[in-house]
Amino acid sequence: MKPIKTATILWTLVAALSAAPLLCAQEHPLAKVNATAKASAIQIEMIQARDVSLPAEFQVALYENLIQEMQKEGGFPEVYRDGDRNAAGAPELVILHTTVTGFKQGSELKRDVTTVGGATSITVLCQFTDKEGKVLLERSIDGKVRLIGDNLKATDDFAKKTAKLTAERFTPDRNDSDSDSAILR
Amino acid sequence: MKLERAIFLPLLFFLGTVVSLGQTQPAPAETEAVQVTGLTGVKQNTKGSLKVENGSLSFAYSQGSCDVPAASIQDVVTGSDSQRVIGGTVGTISRLAPYGGGTALSLLRTKLDIITIQYRDPNGGLHGAIFTMPVGKAELIKEALLAKGAHTSISSKEDSTADPTQQSEAKEQLR
Repeated sequence: MKPIKTATILWTLVAALSAAPLLCAQEHPLAKVNATAKASAIQIEMIQARDVSLPAEFQVALYENLIQEMQKEGGFPEVYRDGDRNAAGAPELVILHTTVTGFKQGSELKRDVTTVGGATSITVLCQFTDKEGKVLLERSIDGKVRLIGDNLKATDDFAKKTAKLTAERFTPDRNDSDSDSAILR
Repeated sequence: MKLERAIFLPLLFFLGTVVSLGQTQPAPAETEAVQVTGLTGVKQNTKGSLKVENGSLSFAYSQGSCDVPAASIQDVVTGSDSQRVIGGTVGTISRLAPYGGGTALSLLRTKLDIITIQYRDPNGGLHGAIFTMPVGKAELIKEALLAKGAHTSISSKEDSTADPTQQSEAKEQLR
């Protein structure tokens, strides 16, 4: 009886351990799709602010900083702007749609004087899709300036974080083992 | 008769001069400005001169100039902000001044105007650029750009924080 019980428990354990990663993968369908996606170029669409009152300079600064950071750190050989006709011929193109979901304009003066108040923060919903509109990755990323710098510096913070995420998820030379570990996280 | 002519001719000449001066074209809108970000090939926070000339928005700086055709500008918006009188590296170091000196220096601020443009390059790619300039200059630049064929989503003064739905509707109409 003992060997049979031990064998049953062992097999149950093995089965459970094998199923766990599969279950985790099902919980993160976007990450799974993203992990297998190949991308050689990215097109960045203009920042949208449908329900948030966002000053024009913040909208443009978000867009321009995002493009600059993508060119520097995003890991894509080609970065296209919104409306660029050359993007149509790019293979394995990823399109980044961004919508501002939260914005709090702080005060540089208040930051200087109090050092704790007056922070500026922006929250942006980033949606990476392929040409057909299939969502590859969706994340909410924020940008903040808490102490030193003008309010527009928050857009720089957001751009750096987004470029870092993109480099991690869409580097074309990524191997499969890295992809698997990304799913498990 | 000769006396009348002698009076009449100089008077006519004087009036002609006055009328011709009145009809000369106004000087192009020009101001000192800082390009915060956006222009291709120009570093962030570059100081220079911004003017509307020959149907283009021209930014001239120490290493060259950059022109944006007014007709390619699909949105121009003005706004306002303020900045520390002592900025840059000196400004950052001054924050460490003892006995609250850094904080006191932070209170010294100047107001400034912001002008934000969005334009398309020949490939259709959308660009944005932000300039800061002395108070009162942004509206002049904006009006000069609109006169040369640029578009705007907001026609009222200092209204860059207008209802975004209104902005997007206006942009859709432009397209």
